Amino acid sequence: MSVDLSVEIAGVRLSNPILTASGTCGYGEELAELYDLSHLGGIVTKSITISPREGHPPPRTTETSAGMLNAIGLANVGVDRFITEKLAFLEKFRTVVVVNVAGAKLQEYVDICARLADCPRADMVELNFSCPNVEAGMEIAKSASLAEAAVREIKRVFPRPVIAKLSPNVTDITEIARACEAGGAGALALINTLVGMAVDIESRRPRLTNNTGGLSGPAIKPVALNMVHQVYNTVKIPVIGIGGIVNWQDAVEFFLCGATAVQVGTGLFVEPDAPLKIVRGLKKYLSDKKLNRVTELIGKVRKY
Amino acid sequence: MSKIVIGYSEIIKKTDLGRGNFIMEIAPFSKARNIKPGQFVHIRLPDTNVFFRRAFSIYDYSPEQKTIKIIFKVFGRGTKLLAGLHRGDRLDVLGPLGNGFRLPGRRETVILVAGGIGMPPIYLLAKILTEKGFDQKRLLYFYGGATRDDLVELKKIRQLGVRVYPATEDGSLGFRGLITGALVDVIDSRQGKFRMYACGPEGMLRAVDELAGKMGIPGQLSLEAPMPCGIGICLGCIKPLRVGGYTRICREGPVYEIGEVIL
Repeated sequence: MSVDLSVEIAGVRLSNPILTASGTCGYGEELAELYDLSHLGGIVTKSITISPREGHPPPRTTETSAGMLNAIGLANVGVDRFITEKLAFLEKFRTVVVVNVAGAKLQEYVDICARLADCPRADMVELNFSCPNVEAGMEIAKSASLAEAAVREIKRVFPRPVIAKLSPNVTDITEIARACEAGGAGALALINTLVGMAVDIESRRPRLTNNTGGLSGPAIKPVALNMVHQVYNTVKIPVIGIGGIVNWQDAVEFFLCGATAVQVGTGLFVEPDAPLKIVRGLKKYLSDKKLNRVTELIGKVRKY
Repeated sequence: MSKIVIGYSEIIKKTDLGRGNFIMEIAPFSKARNIKPGQFVHIRLPDTNVFFRRAFSIYDYSPEQKTIKIIFKVFGRGTKLLAGLHRGDRLDVLGPLGNGFRLPGRRETVILVAGGIGMPPIYLLAKILTEKGFDQKRLLYFYGGATRDDLVELKKIRQLGVRVYPATEDGSLGFRGLITGALVDVIDSRQGKFRMYACGPEGMLRAVDELAGKMGIPGQLSLEAPMPCGIGICLGCIKPLRVGGYTRICREGPVYEIGEVIL
């Protein structure tokens, strides 16, 4: 029996619900040397800004218990090179391309999305309102009214679906989620990294030059699952789960908590082919459970 | 077909070299053919608290047996865990990764500089050059460590027939002091066209880089850094370039021209 892994996010059909998370797969070029990106449900490219950015000086990543702390600082090629080189490269793969966008202020998001509006290969944009390593994104991430206004503004210039990527570093993530839905977001992606710190006890200095960084990996999975579940029960638009997904069992947990799709992030660093393994594992799980479609799992967690 | 493989290999031999140094032989490794000295493998350890893979330079390989060898010194959690594994244990190995050394011209005198556990790529380079018929008399192999026990596999290096110049900080073997001291003495006493290759601790590489720059000797350095991904997607293992911007050690490196990177 073949199982149907396809899902729909804001009217866009994905052949399977496994995407790569922004900032963990570059623009796909390196992973394409290992396998055909068409096997991915979607690829979410590294955050792009108007101008190229070098990012923070090293060290900007460090290992932590069951995860990592990073302060890359949005290193990217800038929107011009992204469109001419990176997006052109992604043309040859049959996968959904989600372009993650970041900015120092709202106008920058709007300008980038307006440029991407003319690029049909940018199937969707994902708004990085949540990078803990730059100042501006967090302002929008923490304010419901700013987030709503931002989504609304961007919707005016970008004709295809807009996904808002939410930060866990807020008082109530459901409030921001509702605001983004009201602003017209087609889906919500959560969570981004949690702000964290690690210290070298010999030098007594933080392990990252930025002092703090974003915590990701299996360490944050329980936090992400809870937030996905809360938001799923709050909004009507699809929720994309992110946070510590490294195997198919993790993905199933997210679907049960309400995710329509998931993104594999830090897990890619350890297992670059993890999305393919997750797809295989998911097929077998569904078949063993005699389920026809992955969508039958969404939100089906049984609460005590 | 991909030049890189991800897959399970088995530890087929582990040798304790003393002072926390080990050689590990791993098989099968289907890409054990045309490996370039300077390339590395990225090994996943069976413990989620050692979350990232660990990078190890390839020390030796056999295309026939499909084996590779690595040498490592127990330094942190990852190497400690690796040292505790045994023959028959499985490892998830990704590689070969990175760019290897560019081989020298036939007429050049080659100065090889290995510092402590930075020796594997330098040994492999020396081995490949001798196999290719490079005149051993023009292969000058400098090998430095804190003490003589740090100079692992010295016998194997000598067996290549190259000229070996050991240096130890405590004077227990060869030149007493830093490797760069031994280097200056020998270069001063010789004439010819030199090319230098080095791998070792960053302080040593900085000194070699400066020295080679001053003496106008071209060559390459193999750098080391903690690498979360090893394939260029995480942007974690970066170094500043002299021309500006950063380079990813795992992807554009780990081998760089002398003077190219700010160490």
